[in-house]
Amino acid sequence: MNIKAVSKGSKYLFAFGFILILLVMGTKLYQDKAWFLAIFFYVSAALIFYTYSISKSTPAKYLLPGVLLLTLFHIYPAFYSGAVAFTNDSNGHQLTKDQAIAAIVQDSKIPIATQEPVKYQTLIEEGSKKVFVLFKYESENYWLSDGNAIRSVSPDPRSVLVDGTVVKVGGFTILSPDQTQAQIAVLQNLVINLDSGISFQPQDLETLEVSQPAFMYNEAKDELINTLSGESYEPNDNGQMVSKSGEVLYPGWKANIGWRNFSSIITDKEIRRPLLAVLVWTFANAFLLVLISFLMGLVLALIFNFPALRSKRFYRTIFIIPMAIPSVLSLLVWSGLFTAETGVIDRLFHISIPWLTHPWWARVAVLIVELWITFPYMFLITTGAIQAIPGEILEAAAIDGASPAKSFTQIKLPLVVRTVAPLLVASVAMALNNFGAIYLLTGGGPTFSNSNGNAGATDILISYTYKLAFNSQEGNNYGLASALSILNFLIVGLISIYGLKKMKTMEGIN
Amino acid sequence: MRFWLKKVLWRHVVGIVVAAFALFPLVWMISAAFDVTGQISTQQLIPVHKGLDNFVQLFSNKEKPFGIWSKNSLIIAISAAGMQVIIGALAAYSLSRHRFKGRKLTLTTILIVQMFPQLLAATTLFLIINTFGRSFAILGLGHQLPLILVFGGSALGVNTWMLKSFFDTLPTEIDEAAKIDGAGHFEIFRKIIIPLATPIFVVTFLLSFIGIINEYLITSVILGLDGKNMTVAVGLQQFIYGQYGKNWGPFTAGALLATIPVMTLFIFLQKHLVSGLVSGSTKG
Repeated sequence: MNIKAVSKGSKYLFAFGFILILLVMGTKLYQDKAWFLAIFFYVSAALIFYTYSISKSTPAKYLLPGVLLLTLFHIYPAFYSGAVAFTNDSNGHQLTKDQAIAAIVQDSKIPIATQEPVKYQTLIEEGSKKVFVLFKYESENYWLSDGNAIRSVSPDPRSVLVDGTVVKVGGFTILSPDQTQAQIAVLQNLVINLDSGISFQPQDLETLEVSQPAFMYNEAKDELINTLSGESYEPNDNGQMVSKSGEVLYPGWKANIGWRNFSSIITDKEIRRPLLAVLVWTFANAFLLVLISFLMGLVLALIFNFPALRSKRFYRTIFIIPMAIPSVLSLLVWSGLFTAETGVIDRLFHISIPWLTHPWWARVAVLIVELWITFPYMFLITTGAIQAIPGEILEAAAIDGASPAKSFTQIKLPLVVRTVAPLLVASVAMALNNFGAIYLLTGGGPTFSNSNGNAGATDILISYTYKLAFNSQEGNNYGLASALSILNFLIVGLISIYGLKKMKTMEGIN
Repeated sequence: MRFWLKKVLWRHVVGIVVAAFALFPLVWMISAAFDVTGQISTQQLIPVHKGLDNFVQLFSNKEKPFGIWSKNSLIIAISAAGMQVIIGALAAYSLSRHRFKGRKLTLTTILIVQMFPQLLAATTLFLIINTFGRSFAILGLGHQLPLILVFGGSALGVNTWMLKSFFDTLPTEIDEAAKIDGAGHFEIFRKIIIPLATPIFVVTFLLSFIGIINEYLITSVILGLDGKNMTVAVGLQQFIYGQYGKNWGPFTAGALLATIPVMTLFIFLQKHLVSGLVSGSTKG
């Protein structure tokens, strides 16, 4: 059989099988109400089918898998997070409006006094062995419920005693007082709710406590009324119910607040002041790091590019070791080394610097560690750039009588800078978002005293945003964090684009 | 001799100082790993109480199973790095060789998308994988497959740019010659590009591999808090951030064990790595 045909045939089989799997998965997702993912799977299957069988476009065949994954796990989350920036999603505002109102109503229950205590009986459902409660309240029929479902039953009149006690219910075993005592743990947690909002809870082995929520929700008018005080509460624009006198009810809900997260960055002093300090350090840290590490790398490259130095390769191997150690591990080790007084560094150099607890020393420590991680890379790229300078240029300069210093400043340096410039821009962009080096070393601390407990002296924008979203002292604020993420993205994006543009013009100058 | 002293000796001096700086944490990591008292704060260079206790502790801890973490890390990193290289290489080949309408847009988009740090979208990723898990258990939280796919989402990024730059250095005449011989675009990719680009593939794989071993944020979000599911990067932190104070002994022991293979790989492939980075700098 023709091998080419077999391989082509099996390729088609594989492709169709894959598309089929995507369709099946998409359908299951649809059935489980995962709308976005289901649609994504269907669209992906369609695109795969189109790209690999019908479309004439060759590039698409190479790019599609990467693009699909990029869309699902990078682009979609980025947009979704961005959308959160326009809400007040945070602790206390995570429910939907309906859920929040239901929670307020549920929590506001107060006991109702009844003329006679409401008696109940405990039953066990044969088969499921679930505990049920049987009682009578304001109706001819009895209520039967296990706390989840409730139904109305009318037992055979012949099995009802004069005082209302029922002696037989089909499918259930009625418990004696002793047997009821054995079920006390379950009964204590049982809450039975009627549609009218009235709820019952066993208060001892025989009687139920009847309560009614104090709040009533009028859906038509969209207001909550406190039946005791008569106070009415209406929704404000921050996802909360407030009364005319300003009393706020908890919990609130997730509401769309438009640009308020963004404007609060400028208008709210509590947010603006720490944020400004964080932004300044973000830029300072990134630029200082790239500048210092580049200079260090360049100097080392020049020193070790000396032909007569035979152990070049030995030194180079050692210099790149910081790059070779997984940064997660080396950063944590560094944080241990920088411990004040008892730490290795303080003891080794006989100094007593409060590295991680003093704002400025913490910043120095961060820069030292970042330098340690970055200088090998700078060393390598500057070495490469220097070695790429054509020898003739340097010889010509020497013949023209240029001193080594002049040869350096007027020939080597400009050429090297021009060659590595794009990489430096990329390094700045990465340094602006250097989460690990900050978070693992100092956690962003030491914390500013005037902030909301989140921002610290070594915090850069991304670590501050992370803390706001996942680790906040005042309740995680996903809305604000998302707004800051967008800000972060804009800053890094604009700087990168500006840097790249500047280099395009530099390229032209030859 | 005068020459050597004047021109060379001082370079050695500088080299030794910088080498000490570069090796500083590694030296103390080794020291603390063999120190039975397990305190990096009061560490002496040669530990007073030497021993292998930390290593034993590392492998016998049921809730912090270092052996399982290593296995997890390897599986995830190798699969995801492999995926990133394959997807990246395919895309880079097309972006380098084919001229098509959306080409510049694609390149710019890749660059820009990478600027949004994936870690800030961690909650969304959590929600997505959680939703997956409700329909397909194997794609849900606590499993490795979704994590590998999430890393695959970053394939079209810095890797692709680096690979594309390299492919750009391969003269198109080779492609032309092959085309004349009747080769289709995928055959050119398989038979010509791949063999020529093997060193850069190795470099890309290595860098991706190290990056994924290092990743702990999204990993912890997706894999969760169960000790058996963690990777080395997530798990070792438990020794430092746990409730019982900083346990540097097992931490440095584990860090050492994790560092040695990675570092060996790095040094072994140093030649390729350096040429890859250096060519990246001269070509931009």
